[in-house]
Amino acid sequence: MIRAGAPVLLDVRELEASIGDKPILKGVSLEVRAGEVHAIMGPNGSGKSTLAKLLSGHPAYSVTRGSVAYRGSDLLGLSPEARAQAGLFLGFQYPVEIPGVSNAQFLRLAYNSVQAARGAEELDPLEFDDLVREKLALVDMDPSFLERNVNEGFSGGEKKRNEILQMALLEPVLALLDETDSGLDIDALRVVAGGVNSLAGADNAIVLVTHYQRLLNYIEPDYVHVMEGGQIIKTGDKALALELEARGYDWVRAEFDAARAAA
Amino acid sequence: MVAAQSTFLTTLLGSAPQRSTGMAWLDRVRAAALERANAAAVPSAREEEWRFTDLAPLARLSFQPRAQAAAPSTQAVAARLLPQAYARLVFVDGVFAEALSSLPSSAGVRVMALEQALRDEPALLEAQLARLGAYEHNVFTALNTAFLREAAVVVVDPGHAVSGPIHVLHLASGSAEPYAIYPRTLLVAGARSRCTLIEDFVALGEGAYFSAPLAEVSIAPDAAVSHIRLQREAASAFQIAAAFVEQARGSTYRLVHVALGARLSRLEVSVVHGATACETAIDGLAMIGARQLADTHTSVDHAHPEGRLRQTHRCVAGGAAHAVFNGKILVRDGAQRTDAAQSFRGLLLSERAQIDAKPQLEIFADDVKCAHGAAIGQLDAQALFYLRSRGLGEQQARNLLTYAFAAEVIERIAVPAVRSALARVVLERTREAA
Amino acid sequence: MSAVIQDLVNRPYEAGFVTPIEADVAPRGLSEETIRLISAKKREPDWLLEFRLQAYRHWLTMSEPKWPNVHYPPIDFQDIIYYAAPKPKKLKSMDEVDPELMRTFEKLGVPMNERAALAGVAVDVIFDSVSVATTYKQKLAEVGIIFCSISEAVASHPELVRKYLGSVVPPADNYYAALNSAVFTDGSFCFIPKGVKCPMDLSTYFRINTQDSGQFERTLIVAEEGAAVSYLEGCTAPKFDTNQLHAAVVELVALDHADIKYSTVQNWYAGDENGVGGIFNFVTKRGLCKGASSKISWTQVETGSAITWKYPSCVLLGDNSIGEFYSVALTNHRQQADTGTKMIHLGNNTRSRIISKGISAGHSNNSYRGLVKIGAKADNARNYSQCDSMLIGSRCGANTFPYIQVRNRSAQVEHEATTSKIGEDQLFYFASRGVGAEEAVSMIINGFCKDVFQQLPMEFAVEATKLLGLKLEGSVG
Repeated sequence: MIRAGAPVLLDVRELEASIGDKPILKGVSLEVRAGEVHAIMGPNGSGKSTLAKLLSGHPAYSVTRGSVAYRGSDLLGLSPEARAQAGLFLGFQYPVEIPGVSNAQFLRLAYNSVQAARGAEELDPLEFDDLVREKLALVDMDPSFLERNVNEGFSGGEKKRNEILQMALLEPVLALLDETDSGLDIDALRVVAGGVNSLAGADNAIVLVTHYQRLLNYIEPDYVHVMEGGQIIKTGDKALALELEARGYDWVRAEFDAARAAA
Repeated sequence: MVAAQSTFLTTLLGSAPQRSTGMAWLDRVRAAALERANAAAVPSAREEEWRFTDLAPLARLSFQPRAQAAAPSTQAVAARLLPQAYARLVFVDGVFAEALSSLPSSAGVRVMALEQALRDEPALLEAQLARLGAYEHNVFTALNTAFLREAAVVVVDPGHAVSGPIHVLHLASGSAEPYAIYPRTLLVAGARSRCTLIEDFVALGEGAYFSAPLAEVSIAPDAAVSHIRLQREAASAFQIAAAFVEQARGSTYRLVHVALGARLSRLEVSVVHGATACETAIDGLAMIGARQLADTHTSVDHAHPEGRLRQTHRCVAGGAAHAVFNGKILVRDGAQRTDAAQSFRGLLLSERAQIDAKPQLEIFADDVKCAHGAAIGQLDAQALFYLRSRGLGEQQARNLLTYAFAAEVIERIAVPAVRSALARVVLERTREAA
Repeated sequence: MSAVIQDLVNRPYEAGFVTPIEADVAPRGLSEETIRLISAKKREPDWLLEFRLQAYRHWLTMSEPKWPNVHYPPIDFQDIIYYAAPKPKKLKSMDEVDPELMRTFEKLGVPMNERAALAGVAVDVIFDSVSVATTYKQKLAEVGIIFCSISEAVASHPELVRKYLGSVVPPADNYYAALNSAVFTDGSFCFIPKGVKCPMDLSTYFRINTQDSGQFERTLIVAEEGAAVSYLEGCTAPKFDTNQLHAAVVELVALDHADIKYSTVQNWYAGDENGVGGIFNFVTKRGLCKGASSKISWTQVETGSAITWKYPSCVLLGDNSIGEFYSVALTNHRQQADTGTKMIHLGNNTRSRIISKGISAGHSNNSYRGLVKIGAKADNARNYSQCDSMLIGSRCGANTFPYIQVRNRSAQVEHEATTSKIGEDQLFYFASRGVGAEEAVSMIINGFCKDVFQQLPMEFAVEATKLLGLKLEGSVG
């Protein structure tokens, strides 16, 4: 939902970043305001996942130019956990397995870490159990998931639902969902999208990184950005996603190159 | 250090000096190996690699080099042939039998005996023969190399897929006089090539003989080699074998080995991943009874990233048999994203049978997935009960389950004719063991 | 490996201090004379001197084992002090214990008096080689339990010591056991008579204190028919630059239906990050389930020592007897550990269970070596083994060497091994959910080790958790 005057949550300016010596982002600018849903689309290797991981503080990437402000202050100086505690959430494309640590333990630790940082109340295991069961319903997960080790032996769909469950618990201000739709069958996609929609509100924002238009049938974006070669080369509304689905990405590139040649 | 030599070694090494091969480099390799063999002793159970396998019964015996090739009856040989084979190299008591062999000449692959290979491909042989088969620390490898005179040589050109399996058949005539033979195979698979090699060791008669086979398999980038090794030596024979495999980037090596014969047998398989993204599959079965001993030692050296190993080994021991398995998985520093899994299962069919196992992981890289499992026991009581509740007699049910246990390895054999022939042998064995 | 991992591994040794207590020290070196001196100092009976001398003579014919996967410079056995005792003092209560010693325990975070009083633990303090304080002895004596130093036991219950000493670990068993049998100075003796369940956990705090004093403790625990005891052994050592040899022998004997639980937390000085200094820990621990339906359970948390060579084992002789081994071994920097167990099944229906968790960080090398042997006459024996390794960083090694020998077809033996890691991916995942590296590591490690920690008595479990966290601080991130 686009509202004039809504506070700016994320302000990315001319961001350039590399992994080792290899430049991945080549000048990305993006503004996200409260209440908005953005979709970043683009072919494989365009840099869209890099952007999501970099924003949440992944150590593999180094910023070489540009700035990122989150709710008005510098984001790049913060550790990944400080970003999470400040309300930034990354839904992973490939959530890692953590043997030996139960999902319940992990979720409570994460929840309490974020609560503590917000000065809010931490929950003991019993209180937390009540809370988490309520959230489980949102993503249609069985309580037995809580006893299993974090992501260990989870199917692709279970891992993604587990990510949305975490999102539901941590109630982020800004959620970056990296290819949350990949590897999901249609039922799982519906569940995940339903979870995301129920968490969207006037005070928070969601950035979806996705390869396909399919997810956008369920989560309606306010803005669609096309990323390629480490840059956002076109921005439009949800109609752009449909056009991309029908025509592919090449014409956007051609248009962008033509515009640049003209300038 | 000069080790006290056993009768076994003294006799073998005391045999008449070898005539020259006509190749100076090969004579040098043989001389160096002979020197190693002369300095070595028969390994004792005090050595970690031999702690479960007592060679005393072997060390007491003396074997002479095979004086002349036997001429087995065509009928006896015919039953052992594989009609589906693309090519066939037959050796009788270690000596190449040209008349029994079938060596088609077509583009892309050369299947030769050593003599011809030395003539046709001298440079390739000088570069490859005895390159992988390290003889410095192993007396049996040293013996094979020191007495190297015969060999099966297979060279597959880059990009070529050989149309059928290459059958290397070693027949033991089993004469009255104990003799020693040294079968040898060299396979050089070019980049992106495909081939199947069957090494088949069969006894035509009973008799005590000693065989120390050695295979060298060199696999170029993106090539795939399927290797089937069948050991059906005579009941009083000894076979101590080694296979050395080196894989280049993106290559695949699949080995299925089956040990059914010999009084005492041992197979040492050494696979080295010489570059990234090598894939290896090793499946083994030892099915023995009476006073047989079958020892399988495998080692897969993951020296580079992204290697993959899938290994299963099964032993079925009846009578007073003794099965040994030692499976080593080494993941070297830097071999990240290695994915290795090994499973060993042993089945004891009788009161006096025994099984020793030592799966072994040595890991020096952190981003790896390695797992092994080992289980030794008897047939699953629940499965037995289930079969009996469906009307099978107890013995029948036992046989069926024993067969199924072994068949899981047999089923990995990709050549249907070999698979079905072995399945029959295993079924017979199951009945005998019962 | 990132900086946080480095930091976590690089915490200095917190127990690194020397307590200045005067010692009565024997001259360096080993000979029959040294042994006669030790025996005389301790006013031992002739049979014990003879036991020592025979062990020594046998030791002279033996050579150091080479098969463990550990590497160290040669040990000069003539450069070791084989006897060092604090000046004799008469103590009537804990209050009289040297205040310096008490401060030592406090620095280690082990308020012994409090611990003894609050937790109901009797602490037989082995300081260097001779017991200086024993509490709760009276209370134990009331139920007929003998818990004292082994020297005391030699004087007060010679028949018991003579009957069981060397009955599980014969003097000629191995190189270090022979050395220990020749020169052991002190240790604990514990005897639980028929039908008695020990009313409290028995605990001994070992500390190595005098520089260059080789430590040769000898522990003997006997549980008669139907008796039960839980014994805790904990170790920390001050920091020294020269390596110290430690070659203890622990023997456990369980008669019919007896139950012995032996728990260890070991945190001796491991050397600095370059591998200089640190304890050589060459220990022989073995339990004999002599009686039917007896049970011996070993639990160990091994975090210290430069080199650990240790295989707490069970000989399951009695029918229906049970052996267990639960182990966490953590190595960091240049530490080397070759540890595991032996389960020897000789009786019918014997059961054993092995749970081993190895954690390697830094440049360390951690090996599990275990033997499961099912004898020809052991019908229906069962074993289950689980050996997991965790690697932290790419410069360490984790090895598994399980030996399985089955001579009886009715046996069922199962072994499983896996590896996992704590890597940047896992830590980033935690971080992206607001959880910092230290907490993440602690949670992963505790998850990895929980099957073993569950076996520890409560206070020990807490201590062990803290210890692992401390040991790994700086190694992950």
